[in-house]
Amino acid sequence: MRRFRVPLLCLSLFGFAGAAGASPWWMRGSTSTEQDFLPPDVAFHLSSHLEAGVLQLRWVIADGYFIYRNKIQVRAASPDLVVGPPILPAGTRFDDKNFGLQEVYFQQAIVSVPFTRSDYGAHPLQIQVTYQGCAQSGFCYPPISKVLFPESGAGAMTTRVFATGRDGLPVGDGSSAWEAVAILGGTAAFVFAGLIQRRRRRLPVPTA
Amino acid sequence: MSKSLRVGAALLLAVLAIWTVQHAALHQPLQLGAKPSAAPMAASQVTVNGEAPAPLDTPYAMVKIPERLPDFTLANRDGKPTSISAWRGKSLILNFWATWCAPCRREIPILESLDVQWKPQNVAVIGIAVDRRDEVLAFAAALHITYPLLIGEQDALDAAAAVGVDSPMFPFTVFTDRRGEVVAVFVGELHRPQADLILSKVKDIDDDRIALPAARRAIAAGLDTLNAHAAG
Repeated sequence: MRRFRVPLLCLSLFGFAGAAGASPWWMRGSTSTEQDFLPPDVAFHLSSHLEAGVLQLRWVIADGYFIYRNKIQVRAASPDLVVGPPILPAGTRFDDKNFGLQEVYFQQAIVSVPFTRSDYGAHPLQIQVTYQGCAQSGFCYPPISKVLFPESGAGAMTTRVFATGRDGLPVGDGSSAWEAVAILGGTAAFVFAGLIQRRRRRLPVPTA
Repeated sequence: MSKSLRVGAALLLAVLAIWTVQHAALHQPLQLGAKPSAAPMAASQVTVNGEAPAPLDTPYAMVKIPERLPDFTLANRDGKPTSISAWRGKSLILNFWATWCAPCRREIPILESLDVQWKPQNVAVIGIAVDRRDEVLAFAAALHITYPLLIGEQDALDAAAAVGVDSPMFPFTVFTDRRGEVVAVFVGELHRPQADLILSKVKDIDDDRIALPAARRAIAAGLDTLNAHAAG
């Protein structure tokens, strides 16, 4: 039995890691059935990027969903920050018989936001972004408002995002990735520490 | 390095590798865009009492559909607080909507025609506008909405949560029988065939021709058929 202990431990750890890292049901956008209603953050995945004084917002939009171009609004949410009108790319136009000519984004939208700040970096850059979208199948989400903390760097688009309530105050963290890191890292550290402790216990029994 | 340390290091690497792979899989949102389009009517869905799917399959918008329509009070067009119990004894079509919502707007002619057709049969259409009052009144005047409207913002969102739609997406429509039991909650744009199906079963319940659970099953099956027909 002893020789199976390590493989069993590995197997159980793999299973635990798989369970902890598996996508929760509300994030399974790529495997959702056609009858799912995607949560708004899955239907419209927003990230931001700040580099060389240029702030970019990027929405990745699930298939069958769209965002209205004229419902995108950006405003400053940190001191000494002035945000200009966002530079919106052309979208797909269609004539809605009720709302007239509409321009919407499918698949993705990348928006540049000009800004100037006079705090010399004293405050973390914060902007509030509001947008609204619908599903082509016939329902719409209420306007979504988020406070973003764009992070600079040459890597992928990243951001710290806080959903905001009706008063614009943060109500929750939009990221679950660091929770997964914390859980799995903590578990690994726990197992590792246990193995070291076990090794230390194997002290030679002093002989009289 | 001792055997224990080697095993520990291997486990640590294994865990990190698994997490990295799964993290990468979770963050490929562009793949969502490659998914085939859903059928035009497929996202509209009915949820019925007592037959809620298991939590993992629960639609995002749904929390817990109540057995009976809860009482709530919202301002009417004149600003007078009006309880939903003012329509007690009638079967209800409660349409939750907002002025900025295109499918909500498309539904309005259907709701008007349902009101005309079903009013003599003790069925009332009530619009629950979750929006700013001034915008709703202007919108209702422009579109000549004749059925009763209740209007609210947070209080209307609370009403939506009370009927089980906690994370609202609009429109959605609640159907009750004359006893105040919730027969169905339909999320998405309501089309005439779907409305006719649900209301025919509400009528059957009201006339004691069918029990509520059987009506719900018939509605669910009928909507599946309609969706399959629309998709096919």
